[in-house]
Amino acid sequence: MTDLGTIPLNRDAAVREARRKVRQVLQILTADDLLSTRIGSGVSAVGRAMLREGMAPVLRLGLDQRDGSSSFLLVFHDRQPLRVPESVLAVFDDVEAGRAGASDWEVRIRVRLRQWSGMDEHRTAELRAIVQQKSRDELMDELQVKNRELQESFENLQRTTSAKERMESELNIGRDIQMRMLPMDFPAFPLRREFDVYAVLHPAREVGGDFYDFFMIDEDRVCFGIGDVSGKGVPSALFMAMTKTLIKSRASNDFSPASILTHVNDEMAENNESAMFVTIWLGILDLRNGTVTYTNAGHNPPYVRRADGALERLAKRHGPVVGAMEGMVYGEAELTLHAGDAVLLYTDGVTEAMDPGQALYEEQRLVSTLEAGESAVPEDMVRATVDDVWRFQADAEQADDVTVLALAYHGTPEGATRRSFRMTIGADLGEIAQVNTAFDEYADTHDVSSKIRRSMNVVFDELLNNTISYGFEGRDDGEVTIEVELGTDRLSVTLTDNGKPFNPFGTAPPDTQLSVEEREIGGLGIHLVRQMMDEVTYHRRTDRNVVILAKLLAEDGAPERT
Amino acid sequence: MDITTRTENDITLIAFAGNLDTNTSPEAQQALDGIVEAGGTKIVVDFTTLDYISSAGLRVLLATAKRLNGVGGTMHMFGLNDTVEEVFEISGFSTIFKVFSDENAALAGL
Repeated sequence: MTDLGTIPLNRDAAVREARRKVRQVLQILTADDLLSTRIGSGVSAVGRAMLREGMAPVLRLGLDQRDGSSSFLLVFHDRQPLRVPESVLAVFDDVEAGRAGASDWEVRIRVRLRQWSGMDEHRTAELRAIVQQKSRDELMDELQVKNRELQESFENLQRTTSAKERMESELNIGRDIQMRMLPMDFPAFPLRREFDVYAVLHPAREVGGDFYDFFMIDEDRVCFGIGDVSGKGVPSALFMAMTKTLIKSRASNDFSPASILTHVNDEMAENNESAMFVTIWLGILDLRNGTVTYTNAGHNPPYVRRADGALERLAKRHGPVVGAMEGMVYGEAELTLHAGDAVLLYTDGVTEAMDPGQALYEEQRLVSTLEAGESAVPEDMVRATVDDVWRFQADAEQADDVTVLALAYHGTPEGATRRSFRMTIGADLGEIAQVNTAFDEYADTHDVSSKIRRSMNVVFDELLNNTISYGFEGRDDGEVTIEVELGTDRLSVTLTDNGKPFNPFGTAPPDTQLSVEEREIGGLGIHLVRQMMDEVTYHRRTDRNVVILAKLLAEDGAPERT
Repeated sequence: MDITTRTENDITLIAFAGNLDTNTSPEAQQALDGIVEAGGTKIVVDFTTLDYISSAGLRVLLATAKRLNGVGGTMHMFGLNDTVEEVFEISGFSTIFKVFSDENAALAGL
């Protein structure tokens, strides 16, 4: 069995979460709305019945192949006998219940899949990400476990100390949670020659809730960001910890900051009774070409320092603060860093620092400091900025957290050539020819075999024709971006369009056994794409369709077909 | 896309050079329709210089085959490169079309 992960069913919210995940996974596997809804509801009924009886099982999801057919497996597992009324299990065709070991009980449900084209690493990873994505509640659970000590000492303090001391202690505990969440080992990525990052957070005595983060999403992408939570103390620190964890969890399978923040905002805004919110600037740097995709959700505008010292202000905001209102859709923008360029992020603790005469530091003074700085080394940039804030503040008290992060891009390592290709076209069928002509040149330059080149020509013609003909319904702002990347063993292609939601791979393949008279062309194009490519996946990201394809560069000509 | 046609006795040979895809298939359809409308019932399609074909091109061939079936005509093809052959295989067209190894074989069958 291919394991997709487990979901603990220990409360109503977890059962709802399990139902959502099961539906989502089945929809990807079968594109069958009816089946996924039916099985999802069944899971919810079983889960609720078990909860009512005081059981708290774990639900394990998996896939397996037996006797030439494929199944989706749902296994409820617990250390105590699992009993479920027959009527609840009746929606499933294939159920086994009983002991799974000396002290383990299981209810195994098998869902046979009719339309399923097989599994590859990409798809398995996508499904695992869905199953294992942590919900708000699960994250809260984890955080509460992590901070149990803190919680306990906090409770003790509440019982034993005066109001004033209690307030002071609560602030300290909040601060402790906040600081523990930050990556603080530098150099952070000593083995990566393409970039360098440095950050500091100087907490204020009272008001706080800043954070920063940076991490590798995969071999080629770095996610980095900064934020400022409203409020102070333990609630604000927990809110910050949750935001940071949700971003990281979502970024593992979503490379769009707009999509990540749209999702995180919904998670945070749901049941946000304390009405807290957080300003965030989030970017994802593609180390192969220096492209930074970023979203500014109500945060201070960062600066780009070009290799020649010129400064650029990233003024645009792409949506409101995060956590305040459900259903917001964030936008994103793109900038390109060249070797020697750097980005500097900061919070309002910098620009709103006060001198002893109550004057504000202001953004203009930050600009002057950055202009005067000669170094593009992140640590130097961060230190120069913070040192100037301290100079300005002199002996006045620090009013707010001061947080600064700098990231410098050094380009790809020497010898690595640019092996990517990217172009954007409008919603015009005539432009497909331009894509194929441009791709032919690219293939020629990089010694892509003519067999693979021609396969890609067919695939581009099919997918672009589909999108342009049906995706935009007469809109004139339709566009499709084509990105091609040549790796050591594969050619990877990403097609992104802003058309209506459509999963091209969600339909059944056509019957290719019919005679001339009976044959229709419908569905054949997508069938060709599926068969000619080695991997195909579809994602809906905010307001875009993203199709990812891979063609293996097998030595022996035609790769295997199934 | 270049299309050249010539006739030998009652057989029309039509050669496609370049691509048969979204943008070129209307032109190919016109050329094939022209042959059928002029009373041609024996067509040999030369793919020797065809780089690739997509489903838009397959649609043209299928439409022509259907028209020819209606008038008792036949269409033979030859000169498929590995990509065109792969597309024919995947789509099942290799079993519904008569594909030959070269021009002589394609002509001899008519």
